Amino acid sequence: MGVAAEGQVSLLAPWVPSAADPFDLRKAGHLLRRAGFGGSLRQRRELVRSGVDAAVRSLFPAADQPAVDRAQLDAVVSLGDIDRVRSWRVLLALESTAPLRVRMSALWHDHFATSNQKVLDPRAMALQQAMFDEKGLGTFDELLLGVAQDPAMLRWLDNDVNVSGRPNENFARELFELFALGRGTYSEVDVREAARAFTGWHVRDGRFFFAKRLHDDGQKVLFGRSGGFGGEEVVRAVVEREESARHVARCLLECFVHPEPTEEEVGALATCYREQRRHLGDTLAVLLRSQLFFSARAYRSRIRSPADWVVGTVRTLGATAAPTDLSRAMGQLGELWLEPPSVEGWPRERQWLTEATWLLRTNFVADLLAGRRGKFAPAAESLFGNLKRPADRAKAALLMVVDGDASEDGRQALERLAAGPAAAGPDGAAVLLHAACCLPEAQLL
Amino acid sequence: MNLPMDPARPASLTRREVLSLGAMLPLASLAPHGLRAWVPDGPVRCLVVLELEGGNDGLNTVVPTEDPVYARLRPRLGAVRKGSLPVADGFALHGALKSLHRLHRLHGEQRAALVHSVGYPDPDRSHFRSRDIWHAADPRLQRVGASTTGWLGRAADQLAAGGSSVPALAVGSLQVPLALRARSALVPSLERIEDFQLQPVERTQAGRDALAPVLGGGSGDAAGWVGDMAARAAGLGEQLRRSLASYRPAVEYPQTKLGRELQLVAQVVGAGFGTRFFHVSLGGFDTHARQLPAHAALMAQLDGALGAFVADLAAAKALDTTAVLVHSEFGRRTAENQSQGTDHGAAAPVFVLGGGVLPGPHGTPPDLTDLDDGDVRPTTDFRSVYGALLAWAGVDAAAVLGADAPAPLGGLLG
Repeated sequence: MGVAAEGQVSLLAPWVPSAADPFDLRKAGHLLRRAGFGGSLRQRRELVRSGVDAAVRSLFPAADQPAVDRAQLDAVVSLGDIDRVRSWRVLLALESTAPLRVRMSALWHDHFATSNQKVLDPRAMALQQAMFDEKGLGTFDELLLGVAQDPAMLRWLDNDVNVSGRPNENFARELFELFALGRGTYSEVDVREAARAFTGWHVRDGRFFFAKRLHDDGQKVLFGRSGGFGGEEVVRAVVEREESARHVARCLLECFVHPEPTEEEVGALATCYREQRRHLGDTLAVLLRSQLFFSARAYRSRIRSPADWVVGTVRTLGATAAPTDLSRAMGQLGELWLEPPSVEGWPRERQWLTEATWLLRTNFVADLLAGRRGKFAPAAESLFGNLKRPADRAKAALLMVVDGDASEDGRQALERLAAGPAAAGPDGAAVLLHAACCLPEAQLL
Repeated sequence: MNLPMDPARPASLTRREVLSLGAMLPLASLAPHGLRAWVPDGPVRCLVVLELEGGNDGLNTVVPTEDPVYARLRPRLGAVRKGSLPVADGFALHGALKSLHRLHRLHGEQRAALVHSVGYPDPDRSHFRSRDIWHAADPRLQRVGASTTGWLGRAADQLAAGGSSVPALAVGSLQVPLALRARSALVPSLERIEDFQLQPVERTQAGRDALAPVLGGGSGDAAGWVGDMAARAAGLGEQLRRSLASYRPAVEYPQTKLGRELQLVAQVVGAGFGTRFFHVSLGGFDTHARQLPAHAALMAQLDGALGAFVADLAAAKALDTTAVLVHSEFGRRTAENQSQGTDHGAAAPVFVLGGGVLPGPHGTPPDLTDLDDGDVRPTTDFRSVYGALLAWAGVDAAAVLGADAPAPLGGLLG
């Protein structure tokens, strides 16, 4: 085994906590923010006590837990209201006992970005989300086939009008460019031929329907091989390509590790993903336990998306909030679930944050804490227990909001604010927590 | 918009006022680049770029009504010819473009011009890459990297070096598009004025001031970047709020997303805030299926908002110093598809509006008997349109577009 290969192995080797680098509140916060949507100080402390192995395991769904609550889904779908579907997703992000599943569904919603603006079918949008819940931690093969046969997707990318003799390339092109391979790894011929293979993949009565008479069953040439391929064969041919493993690895690394993965990291995770037979849950079990995941390079290297900010802040403060209101707030910040701006998905990382969105973000938290978005519960003051000394209260606010890890300047500024008149009024606890949320570290994921 | 008549309340803040405002704000001193107060000494020329996202169907926007080949290529979508508004040389504007048509035909003082067949060599039919190419003004761009900048962002960089605090603004979207991405210039985005101010738990000046020391801290790459952003945001919010307080629109804008956004542009232009480059977009042009009604609605929204915007600027005597470019990432396939829609194409016409436009025709009309793989051949490079706009706005076009970009299109703006 060469040097490069050994390096790759060590990137994904299990991280070993030590006295100098323990599994502490910072690490637990990192794990909860990345693999879920954050957690309260109490949850973070529990994770630290349980140790890193149990902490990572606790994020995965239990084996006997159904991926989708059918009764809940039926209730959501019966109303035919897209806002209701959105609220359901926000509620899951707020309260799910399997945070990683919700995180993955949110990731796939961004990756296979489908908008109700065109689909105009809340039921189909809800079923697509449920499909992500069911397949998002299984094999990529099944997930991609699920996407290719998903009624909302078929409508979104016009495959419902893709018929023999009149191929519509929209789905085939995005399958290659955005979903599974990446630019520069296929030809225009491949796009055209794959479009033919997906002819007749339609929707009937709200379900996937193979319209055999509208399917082009002629010979096609795909990636230089010929055959009478149908859609299943295209999906299989795509996932088996080396470029697809790298595409998926890059996608996972950008979400869980660092917004700009190195070639070495992509190679290492692509290898791992193939070894795990393209099983996403098994690949993540390795990644989330790895040295790479817990490295200084990964820690706070991402910018929170609006969902990370809105849902994450509510969870971090251990507050209660109305999902409909949170979903509206996310929309104002640019991330209205079920309506991504394009098939390319949402903006990412630093694109999220401008002067305008920073103001909106901080104003959201102020409104939340001041009770201007409905009653803030539990009361901000109760989060501080019996703490009275300004220095203790500043320290508590830092622990609650940023795992106690802020710059020296920020820490001192917060202590001064805690000792000043602004934090002495009846809303003093809310003022102090809001100030902690204004620290730059609070925007990092 | 009505300029305030009361001499005690000037239309825009004076340089001294802005400077003293900056001094009032403890936030401003925290930003490493400072909150550079800057108010232009004379009228400045502004560029407003309006992007039609998704690939606007150029052939059904500027319709070759008398071309038999068009009739053959568009057996169903050719219905758009009915009610279209003739301009010149056998072309007519989509019937919903009534304001644009009027502005195009004003005798002696034409306010709108069209440039035919704009694009770039070896057209890319991916929305994302083609849009990136237009935004970066770089037909060879392969992938947008962390250091990729946009053409308006680079123009803003030139002005930022000269001291403008907010040379460019993204309007309507909370995200800053690639076109506005700059190396050093500050490019905020703005959706609603009232959101652009720090609203603490206790909504008082004391509440805002108490937060100031917390915002700018943060060590390390990402935290430092966020801290700078936060400190600038708080300072800018105050500055913007004050400079816009006294404005009213002169005309009623349509209550559409684009109408509201162009009104916001007009406010900022009229406020004399010093912002020179604006980017606004209208989505929904990816009409692969059942195109006619959807496209007509988009044309109507575009025309209503543009008509009000031009009238508002004219009333404020700001039209002569403003130019608007309306473009899309590509046109659409000349032949309609079997879904009563059109697929991704290549070259398409662009519109330029404003006080400085010169009568056309500009560019070469599409030749439907000489297509490139079923698409209109680009005969005018989009960078030569950019070049004409930049030169008119007083920006060094070669510095923005690169030495190998084609020369600015002559005769478009004067």
